[in-house]
Amino acid sequence: MKKIILESLILLLVMGFLTGCQGKKVSPGDVEGYDEGETYLSLWVHTIEDTPEGEAYKKSVEGFNEAYDGVYFADIEFIPRNDSGGGYSDKVNASVMSGGLPDVLTVDGPNVSAYAANGIIQPLAEIPEEEKAVYLESIIEQGTYDGKLYALGVLESSVGMYYNKDILEEAGIEVPDADHPWTWSEFLEILEQLKPIMAEKNGYALDMTFPVGEASIYYYAPFIWSNGGDLVSDDGLTVDGYFNSDANAETMEYFKTIVDNGYMSATPIEFLFESGRAAFKFDGAWEVNTIYTSYPDINLGVAPYVVSDNWDGGRYTPTGSWAYAASANTEHLEGATELVKWMSGVESGVYIWNLTKNLPSTYGAFEQIEIFRTDENYNALYNQLSTYGHPRPKTPVYPQVSTSFQQALEDIALGGMETKSALDKSVERINAKLERYVRE
Amino acid sequence: MMKKKKSNTIMGMAFFGPALVLLTIFLFIPMILTLVFSFTDYFALSPNLTHFVGFENYGKLFKDELFLQSFFNTVKFVLIILPCQGLGALGLALLINKVTHCKKYFKVAFFVPVVMSLAVVSTLWMQIYSPEGILNTILGNLGINAQPFIHSASQALPSIALMSVWQGVGYQMIIFLGGLQAINPALYEAAEMDHASSWQKFKDITLPELKPLCVFVFITVTIGAFRMIVQPMVMTGGGPSHSTYTMVYNIYETGTVNWEIGIASTMAIVFAIFVMILTVIQSILTRDKEDKHVNKKAKNG
Repeated sequence: MKKIILESLILLLVMGFLTGCQGKKVSPGDVEGYDEGETYLSLWVHTIEDTPEGEAYKKSVEGFNEAYDGVYFADIEFIPRNDSGGGYSDKVNASVMSGGLPDVLTVDGPNVSAYAANGIIQPLAEIPEEEKAVYLESIIEQGTYDGKLYALGVLESSVGMYYNKDILEEAGIEVPDADHPWTWSEFLEILEQLKPIMAEKNGYALDMTFPVGEASIYYYAPFIWSNGGDLVSDDGLTVDGYFNSDANAETMEYFKTIVDNGYMSATPIEFLFESGRAAFKFDGAWEVNTIYTSYPDINLGVAPYVVSDNWDGGRYTPTGSWAYAASANTEHLEGATELVKWMSGVESGVYIWNLTKNLPSTYGAFEQIEIFRTDENYNALYNQLSTYGHPRPKTPVYPQVSTSFQQALEDIALGGMETKSALDKSVERINAKLERYVRE
Repeated sequence: MMKKKKSNTIMGMAFFGPALVLLTIFLFIPMILTLVFSFTDYFALSPNLTHFVGFENYGKLFKDELFLQSFFNTVKFVLIILPCQGLGALGLALLINKVTHCKKYFKVAFFVPVVMSLAVVSTLWMQIYSPEGILNTILGNLGINAQPFIHSASQALPSIALMSVWQGVGYQMIIFLGGLQAINPALYEAAEMDHASSWQKFKDITLPELKPLCVFVFITVTIGAFRMIVQPMVMTGGGPSHSTYTMVYNIYETGTVNWEIGIASTMAIVFAIFVMILTVIQSILTRDKEDKHVNKKAKNG
């Protein structure tokens, strides 16, 4: 008798584990606000609820549920993500296999291509031209793969070439306007002129590093683009002849010149620019807010991103951030598209700015936020983004392109490796990852 | 009699059952899956297109420069850590055993880093190692040029190893300390009567008595060092030029960042087999010596 009881207990336990792993089916009334007759839309975002970013998303969803009361109900789930990208992406990967993807999920800009190429997300339902026109061009471009629109971003980002106004004034250097940036050779002259001045301040002309991670490609790929180069082909499936082109070799050698001439420190020194010991710094748009709030002594300016001597006036500055997309699993593409539009729309963009000081993705949001007209630095970043913004390479093997770029930059500029062979080695590595997309 | 035995079995199963279920779900099944995946081209974003590829992954792996580099980095790390941490712990334990005042203070002081999270310790040491950090300031005062430490390909791995020794040594120290205190004082008294020098006492009493602990420390430190990932992840991101890119880090990135579960599984299997072989060799080597030691004792007796 005892045996039977115990055995059934163990059996129950096992069953509990097995059933606990299965997806849930939500019916009206299960979740607060989900009423009879509404279409249920699940939504995953890549942050926890307690962050300012999470709060902004929550407010957007609440707005959506109010506006579409009786038609749609969006249920937001917050999934933590660590700095190196784990957590959220692990959950997405696992759900691709088990089939538990939500209707709408967030995707990091450079990953849109990989997700689209592997059929994890599907093209959005038809969006009228006038609604598309609300978004910055860079956002539409980032979300487009193979000619179809897959994702719309709520956040946009940019990198500024910041300068210390006091130092440049001391050296008698004038900053050009946005449409006539310094060229590489002009910039080298300026760095040379600043070198002795900065040495006196125990600093460097440039606060610049080539960090491991996404930052390197994000900050320095513009040098590649303005020199007429590219990292991948237009279809994202070829790198040989692009990544290792002569133009790119020239770009890599430009960085080497900067290091060799001592215009920047070969080992990263923290807070060089913030402590007034560097004249220039490349950093994300968030740096403006950091300087304003934490280093009010620094007299900050935003200079136009330097361009190659061969620049043809085309788009070249960094852009891109997290975007919303409809998963391939959703049965409610119309609803999912509405949700994507709402979450990336003007109102959501204003929330994002107010709560996180991240740049919004729509012209409308920028118009509503006064500081982009009143503050010259924010205004400069907005103009750079809307006029010259260029998305990062669109290829399903983006992660490999990004790490290879950083690796090549470090090997060439700091490690003294021969330029052409370093680039060829990168091509070999990326090609190994491209195999699975090319063979079909 | 028979009945009692049977009910014992059932009770045993009842206690063991839940653990077995959990172990099966979270350990045995994943282990088997890893082995299976290692023979496939499983790509996390398109699991439907998975095929069996036989030993192709294994062949690819041994031609992959980055894999070999991460493998040798890990071995290098273990080779630095093992003597430093083993001997360091023994040395500290001997010192503390000798100290008469503030014994508790020293014990706690050396043990504190062990209870700190590795991520915190890494962040702390990033400041210590930074180009204008405290270590370079001290070096500067001694007239030595500033060192790049974690920012140079040649110094990064040793710098991280040094930090790891500092972080981990307290744990082994406590183990040795326990061993030292368990040695019968009569042995030392007898040795003193024979006018043995301190070195002879250490060599012929302390070391042989600590032998089983040495084996334990040797194996745990080795396995712990092979698992290194947190320090380079926090401090260097595997750089500069992949000089601190370790096996486990490589497995993690291949699987989660590049989505290549197949290759990552292959790496994990190769790595597991390597560590297993090493552990077996270690235990055979150390066991042999122990047997000899016992035999010698028996003969002498």
